[in-house]
Amino acid sequence: MAKTDFWSGSDKYLCDPQLAQAFHMARVLGMPLLIEGEPGTGKTELPIQYAASNAQELFVYPVGSKSNIDSFVARFDHVKYLRDSQVEILNAQREEKGLDSKMSTGGRDTESLKDYVIKGPAANAFSTPNSVLLIDEIDKAPREFPNDLLYALSHRKFVMPESGEVIEVSEENMPAIIITSNREQELPTAFKGRCIYHYIHFPEPDMMRQIIAKHDLAMDDKVIDVAIDIFYHLRKLGLERSPTTREILNWLKYIKTFSTTEAIEKIQRLEGLGSLIKTQTDLERVQQAIFKNSADFQKRSTSN
Amino acid sequence: MFETLPQRFREHGVHTDVRTLLLLNKAMHRGLIKTLGDVYNVLKGIVVKDPDTLGPFTKAYYDYFLNIEIEGGERLDDAILRSETFKKWREDRFEAIQDRDFDADKLVNEFLSEVHLTSYDIKEIINGKELIDNDNEVEDSDNISDQLEEQRRLLEKMADYSGMSLEDLLKRLEEIAKQQRGKHSGGSRWIGTGGISPFGHGGAAKDGLRIGGTGGGKMARKILNDRRFFPVDRDMIVNDNNVDAALASLKGIIEESAHEHLDIKKTIKKGLQRGGLFIPELVSEKNQKLQVMLLIDNGGYSMSPYVYTVQNLFKKMKTRFAHDLETYYFHNTIYDVVYSDSRRTKSFTIERLLKKDPNYRIFIIGDASMASYEINRTSVESYKALTKKFKKIAWLNPEPKRHWHFTMTIQFLGELVPMYPLTPKGIEEAVQEMNRKRDEFKGSL
Repeated sequence: MAKTDFWSGSDKYLCDPQLAQAFHMARVLGMPLLIEGEPGTGKTELPIQYAASNAQELFVYPVGSKSNIDSFVARFDHVKYLRDSQVEILNAQREEKGLDSKMSTGGRDTESLKDYVIKGPAANAFSTPNSVLLIDEIDKAPREFPNDLLYALSHRKFVMPESGEVIEVSEENMPAIIITSNREQELPTAFKGRCIYHYIHFPEPDMMRQIIAKHDLAMDDKVIDVAIDIFYHLRKLGLERSPTTREILNWLKYIKTFSTTEAIEKIQRLEGLGSLIKTQTDLERVQQAIFKNSADFQKRSTSN
Repeated sequence: MFETLPQRFREHGVHTDVRTLLLLNKAMHRGLIKTLGDVYNVLKGIVVKDPDTLGPFTKAYYDYFLNIEIEGGERLDDAILRSETFKKWREDRFEAIQDRDFDADKLVNEFLSEVHLTSYDIKEIINGKELIDNDNEVEDSDNISDQLEEQRRLLEKMADYSGMSLEDLLKRLEEIAKQQRGKHSGGSRWIGTGGISPFGHGGAAKDGLRIGGTGGGKMARKILNDRRFFPVDRDMIVNDNNVDAALASLKGIIEESAHEHLDIKKTIKKGLQRGGLFIPELVSEKNQKLQVMLLIDNGGYSMSPYVYTVQNLFKKMKTRFAHDLETYYFHNTIYDVVYSDSRRTKSFTIERLLKKDPNYRIFIIGDASMASYEINRTSVESYKALTKKFKKIAWLNPEPKRHWHFTMTIQFLGELVPMYPLTPKGIEEAVQEMNRKRDEFKGSL
């Protein structure tokens, strides 16, 4: 039986309740879950942590600009097949001439075509009951890819190339499929229709505090409070690329190396800004803002 | 069940159809829907496919299931407060608790947490209760046990409720959908005693237990107050707010292909290395070819607000896709020269422009509004030469389309160069037309 019980996160991963519910719903309905949201909000973490905490097997398919359905499902290795058939001829010729040494086909048999099928993550996940399949950053794929996926997703069935072997999975054993997207391109409507959709909202400061706590940074609460305060200020500036969860975690890891008072000072001077701000124009804007607010920051630090 | 749902949701611009109903039904049979809050969550997962349909969806949900109409830009709280549904719910509530000190905010919060209470919340409360029970076993005083008894009754009610048979549940949900139509029938207390909320009547939830169901209500509030969760107006002139939508329309002009073709040279070379065993060598090729030329009218006061936005738009595009972008400027109309700098000092003749690759896509951006004598023969000939040479050409006009027929020069130039409004939708149409020409061109080869 597929796991259809509710999962709300693990010790290391705080799953947003809304996301946890959408994920549960997708598994109960046997549909893929399509997650969109700002980069760095833990889209990819969900399946990784879910698989880890339930000791389920995880298959990952990172999508790139050259992804196609063959590399996702399975492809037939023509080169090996040709080589092996040539090897057979060669061996027969050698035998005729009374030569003993033979070339090996590595246990593959040209009679059995399935020896030459190289399975991709999808075929592997469908043949492992109760696994987790992650299709990461589907928006990077060429336009046809999501449409090609449609067939597989709606029929729970793959036909292997050349060998004709059919990999089929019952609805009960359906892997949990998670698809992530950064919205760099619009996905076809028909494709989205086959998925349960969830848009990750950026966590509120309280939630962020809990997320940080899960990462066991062993830092003074005061330091974290100041950092969160500044972090949400930065997000309000309307930058081209607002810092996200991933960035604040990295920043805190840097800050962590200093003592509490030193750390607060560093945060207020926005040291290690490179881990938060990623473009030149944003950097300039932030520096202007610091200039304006530096008096304000100082006031706050004395009142603390 | 809910036959009218697709039509009513569509009125809010949310796409729903028979499949939505089938999925909703499936979700019910699998036990995903036990409360009105569950309906919101499940429908959201099925129906919403974009952050910007979250807003219309939430509105449609409140309209359909609760008969609360939220007007454009109105706060959720205000819409709830003026609704009949809320008034009835409050009457029931007051009858029950005899406590009139509640302020509006508190009541709305409570209303929201009832509406958005999900079966997950109920489960969490029940789990939480077990924890309380265990904690209190040692220091069990009368007072606490009384409280606990009350909570237990409440929770049992919830538990019973969540164990309700599917038929009853369906009936109840159906009732909701119907009753919200017949608001004149009066006195239907479906939120409350006989309603979807398990603990409405009796007010047991008053302060005793913090119901975890506020999460959904908070989210609904946030969604309705945030413009990001509503679709951008695609008929608005391109501005800072819808520049991303415009960019998305522009993306269509990128000729992208990722396909494999036979690499003959490599096949021969490798085949020889293999001693005569020729295996087709495939090479996957990815093309992103794009040549764009902008001709911007930056003369005169009327154009200045748009020049910045247009440049910003194409600059954004350039950073996202490496490509060839050239910008030239003119004043009001094109004669025999354009200028390569915005101050219009370095001239660049149309003759030279015409020598460029015919694959350039040309966007002329201008309001095309001027005195009719300004368009002389030189100007007309320049346009004719440009459209003849560059098949993929479009004029984007920031003037609202409905004003076009008032201006003679717009009508005239619109006949020379295909003209579209400078809106995300206009840009999309221009790009589609360009692509159609591209395909025709390919087809003729």
